[in-house]
Amino acid sequence: MKQFKTILSFELKNYFKSKVFVGTTIFFVLVLAVVTFIPRIADTISSSDEATDGNESKPIFVVNADDKALSEQYALAFKAAFTDYEVVSDTLDENGIKEVLSHEHIECVFDITSPTTYIYYVNNLSLYDSNYVLGSEIMQTVYRTNMMIQSGISPEDTLTILSTQITGENISLGKDQVQNFFYAYIMIFALYIVIMLYGQMVTTNVATEKSSRAMELLITSANPTSMMFGKVFASCIAGFTQLVAIFGSALLFYNINREYWASFEMAELFFDIPPALLVYMLIFFILGFLIYAFLFGAVGSTVSKLEEVNTAITPIMLIFVFMFISVMTSMGSGNVDSTLMRICSYIPFTSPMAMFTRIALSDVAMHEIIISIAILIGSVFGVGYIAARIYRIGVLMYGTPPKLGNIIKMVFAKR
Amino acid sequence: MVLELKNITKSFGTKEVLKGISLSTEGGKAFGLLGRNGAGKTTALRILMGVFPADSGDVLIDGKKIDRKMVKIGYLPEERGLYPKKKIIDQLVYFAELKGMNRADAVKSIDYWLSRLEMSEYRDKRLDTLSKGNQQKIQLITTLTHDPQIIILDEPFSGLDPVNAMLLKSVVLEEIEKGKIVLFSSHQMSYIEEFCDRIAILNGGKTALHGELTEIKRNYPRDRLTVRSPQYQEILTDFGEKCKYISDDSVLLRLDDESEKPEIMRSLIDKYDIDEVKVFEPSLNDIFVEYADKEV
Repeated sequence: MKQFKTILSFELKNYFKSKVFVGTTIFFVLVLAVVTFIPRIADTISSSDEATDGNESKPIFVVNADDKALSEQYALAFKAAFTDYEVVSDTLDENGIKEVLSHEHIECVFDITSPTTYIYYVNNLSLYDSNYVLGSEIMQTVYRTNMMIQSGISPEDTLTILSTQITGENISLGKDQVQNFFYAYIMIFALYIVIMLYGQMVTTNVATEKSSRAMELLITSANPTSMMFGKVFASCIAGFTQLVAIFGSALLFYNINREYWASFEMAELFFDIPPALLVYMLIFFILGFLIYAFLFGAVGSTVSKLEEVNTAITPIMLIFVFMFISVMTSMGSGNVDSTLMRICSYIPFTSPMAMFTRIALSDVAMHEIIISIAILIGSVFGVGYIAARIYRIGVLMYGTPPKLGNIIKMVFAKR
Repeated sequence: MVLELKNITKSFGTKEVLKGISLSTEGGKAFGLLGRNGAGKTTALRILMGVFPADSGDVLIDGKKIDRKMVKIGYLPEERGLYPKKKIIDQLVYFAELKGMNRADAVKSIDYWLSRLEMSEYRDKRLDTLSKGNQQKIQLITTLTHDPQIIILDEPFSGLDPVNAMLLKSVVLEEIEKGKIVLFSSHQMSYIEEFCDRIAILNGGKTALHGELTEIKRNYPRDRLTVRSPQYQEILTDFGEKCKYISDDSVLLRLDDESEKPEIMRSLIDKYDIDEVKVFEPSLNDIFVEYADKEV
């Protein structure tokens, strides 16, 4: 136990002193700071803009029709909708339209050819240009109003009929997939990134000790099980600290700028995670990380050179990517209770993502959750034990990396 | 304290590495573990340190099975290696703590050894900024910090300049005087001869030779004479096949039987102008070549 603590604190210090670790953490915190402060900054800038030159000319939107009265009538209707533009009416022919568009401030011309047809002229049609969609809606409303008035309905009634809104409310008795989708998504991505990053770090760490031959001394000074658990727990704590630092600062910055984020519903959703879900997230995150970190550590002990690390971790990566893709696909399809997901939520290598997603997005019975977590905890210790045995054997082997079959044989061989 | 390895066997898969080796040594003495590459020395040492268990046989301390929690072992592996990118003091403390020392004692002991080996100025440097010889001295400190009762030195002199080799020699002699068990494994026979009272030569996973070095030498067949004479050419022709030139006007003369010795010595003195005639005593090198090379 004392050795475990010594190894844990040594490895942790290595992480916290590592320039990469400190650098990436600071980088992410800074990025989050910038992102969360953007609405505040934007707000400050735009308010100062308004204060200084409030009369800055808006781009001009020309409503064009052959008949002057008609073009004015439509221009009035367009004015209400296109507040970002200065809407003017005109009676130009095609050449005239092309001519006015060459002026700097004139952005587009909405040429009404009949009450039900139009041509939208613009210099460059942007991917996000929705002016013509809105324009055709306005034309439709004007057309309907005119038709209804013509057929004898009073203008007041026409207005009431057309402006009547349908109100409704969604009540979900089970899970709110819309909201929890984000949590599942974020948790899965966080787990994916952290396992990828820290898992490889564990492998490299072990392989480096082996290739620098520090292992010769380590293996005679410390118990391999303590070494394995010390390393893996250290990487888990380091990874977790980094996540807490990143998400914690995000939360902090968000709260500082809360009022400026009021218009972003997603942000609100993101930071108001239900406590129960947060607890499940922590449990599955930690256990999921540990089980993979043990595998990565064991694999690291079987390679002799750092160059071999990438080849050696491929099998683990395959399992891992399989888990990631199957969960992501199920989430995308909206059916997280498929047979595949049900099976995956009990297999220790896939349950961290699969079970958490199911908890977040559907109704899972308590006993199912408990069984899944129990299997996962048992497997973490089981895999940890086997990993330590592979480690004990692996670290003394140099030369060609052993085949998987040989490793299994060694693990189950009599001591 | 007496350390014994009794009938140790060990196989890796189908490969039998140790086929029952036995040896013994005691405190205050240095022991030389010899053998060609692949003879099983490192495996034997690892079993002694408990890296893996023996298939059969025992490691005994004073006749009882070794309790590795009670016996401290210091090991200088042949393949040197520490953490190249870490501060020297940090890694030395780490290894000392792994061996059960508390931080304060570890730092005290490390500072003593750093100054003893003239390395104090490197205390806060990174290991990879040091020369190879100095890195080796740092590695030696990891072996000695926790004041082990058994010190295992695998090729301790390789890579050291003569000054550092002298320093290491004096440190090793000090430790032997303190009553420690020192185990040497080396191919540099001159050092083994200088330090070791007892040796074992491993060959093919077996103990080919084991015992006091002086006794081994004394028991070596005394049936050869070294003869130095200006007339060595005549001796060579007169004795024919039995005689072999060595160097410096000297020849090696093989006798048919030890009992012929007095008679032949006398006749040599009578017949030739002899500068020196003595019984040939093999060096450890000769013994090694003979025992480590034989098919066992």
